[in-house]
Amino acid sequence: MTEDIITPALEVHDLTVAFDRKPVLWNIDLKLPEGKLVGIIGPNGAGKSTLIKAVMGLLPLSSGYVKLFDQPIDDVRKRISYVPQRESVDWDFPASVLDVVLMGRYGKLGLFRRPRKADYDVALDCLKKVGMEGYINRQISQLSGGQQQRTFLARALAQQADIYFMDEPFAGVDAATEKAIISLLRTMTEAKKTVIVVHHDLQSVTQYFDWVLMLNTRLIACGPTATTFTQQNLQETYGGKLTLLSDVGDLIRREHFPNREGVIKQPKTI
Amino acid sequence: MNDLYIIITASLVASSCALLGCYLILRKMAMVGDAISHAVLPGIVIAFLISGSRDSMTMLIGAGLIGILTTFLIEFLHKKARLQTDASIGVTFTWLFAIGVVLISLFAGKVDLDQDCVLYGEIAYVPLDTLIIGNQSIGPRALYIMGIILAAIILFIVFGYKELFLTTFDPAYATAIGISTTLWHYLLMGAVSATTVASFESVGAILVVALLIAPAATAYLLTDNLKWMLALACMAGVAASVTGYYIAVWLDGSIAGAIAMMAGVIFIVAMLFSPTHGIFTKKFSRTASIAS
Repeated sequence: MTEDIITPALEVHDLTVAFDRKPVLWNIDLKLPEGKLVGIIGPNGAGKSTLIKAVMGLLPLSSGYVKLFDQPIDDVRKRISYVPQRESVDWDFPASVLDVVLMGRYGKLGLFRRPRKADYDVALDCLKKVGMEGYINRQISQLSGGQQQRTFLARALAQQADIYFMDEPFAGVDAATEKAIISLLRTMTEAKKTVIVVHHDLQSVTQYFDWVLMLNTRLIACGPTATTFTQQNLQETYGGKLTLLSDVGDLIRREHFPNREGVIKQPKTI
Repeated sequence: MNDLYIIITASLVASSCALLGCYLILRKMAMVGDAISHAVLPGIVIAFLISGSRDSMTMLIGAGLIGILTTFLIEFLHKKARLQTDASIGVTFTWLFAIGVVLISLFAGKVDLDQDCVLYGEIAYVPLDTLIIGNQSIGPRALYIMGIILAAIILFIVFGYKELFLTTFDPAYATAIGISTTLWHYLLMGAVSATTVASFESVGAILVVALLIAPAATAYLLTDNLKWMLALACMAGVAASVTGYYIAVWLDGSIAGAIAMMAGVIFIVAMLFSPTHGIFTKKFSRTASIAS
């Protein structure tokens, strides 16, 4: 099921993660190419968030290894960015939007050095990109859900990393914000950045992602959306749990959604 | 002169505690500060027994180590024994504190420490214990120790501001971009232990908790900016020290007790009249807006 890629941005080999000896991820083997927008999908409790946390070394691995750009994770920390789930932090924290976005520069600054003008410029530029330039000095406790998400995104952008891990960036945001975020992610992948997104909404998968990674404790499939996001794989991932599932399958079959890769040419018959 | 020495020492203790307290509150670890302040007791006694003197350096090191052991034990019980955090805090610090109490009572004859002093402190005696260089007395020993501690904490916060800010706000993100959450956690806990020990002689184990939490909690209600929160916490601590001292003199009561009491009073005032979160202020602005 896994396609072979010559220079993968991310390589995971034989990864197993267990909580209290109960495996949450089992024997994951995968490679992801550079410059793609990748969606991780699967039912609740499938280990989607766990996978990106394990890849970034936030959780202990029971077995296996992870390589980013063909190097161990700790050698490339400066090239990694992470957008955690919005609810994972306390938004009543005494900080302004600019304070949070400047955190994106901390990794590059190193110990003891304060952010300089260049760092402020990057932070302001990133806030502009997510349409938050009017909220620079706003307290984070006074932001709406969508604004919180945009702030987190600006922080990730300010890092100027090469690979981005995003945990449900569309959870609880309005349609306008979702649209703005996805077009931003598109421009990022055009600039050869790799963006890996944990995603919930099956209906938008074919619209949004170049690649999909289908997960349910084990890796079900990983590859280009057009060839991987099939009804059979969905069936296997969700195990018939979703009634929506057949609807999505039908939609794909009827080709309501345009195929990103274009129509595959039929080989000429001799 | 003695009045001034006591007030300055108390203010130094209060400011040191207030600065660290801000981070404890924001990390939702206020009770860990409580735990450390009690758990360092056996460290102090053991350091005293080994060195045989009340030399501050040995005590700081002894207690610093026990303080870090405390945080380690709390996390160990939480993660490995799968106990809730509050339960593991409760078990750990009472246990260590009890060991300290037993040690003091065992060696009461040999140790120049008594339970009253450890629990309540005696800041009124601060001017009596002076530092002597040559033949000249240059002021109370506690004043110098607390001065050094406060300076060290300020340096720690100034140089580690970014890292403390980030690991407090979003530890997962900090780890992802390569800033060690564990390192900064233990550095902060080490600082809390050292401050607690240094504050011991003046305000005692119980009241140091009040100074760790109350001024920081007051500042939390008054501002939405971390730098201001640190500054306001110090001001609240100093205000409590000054007013507390004069109330104690007026009532002829415990100075440390009066200071902690005033820290509580200042907190209540902030809770009622804070410009942003105050209970009265909210009510007032609501009626004002309805009237207009």
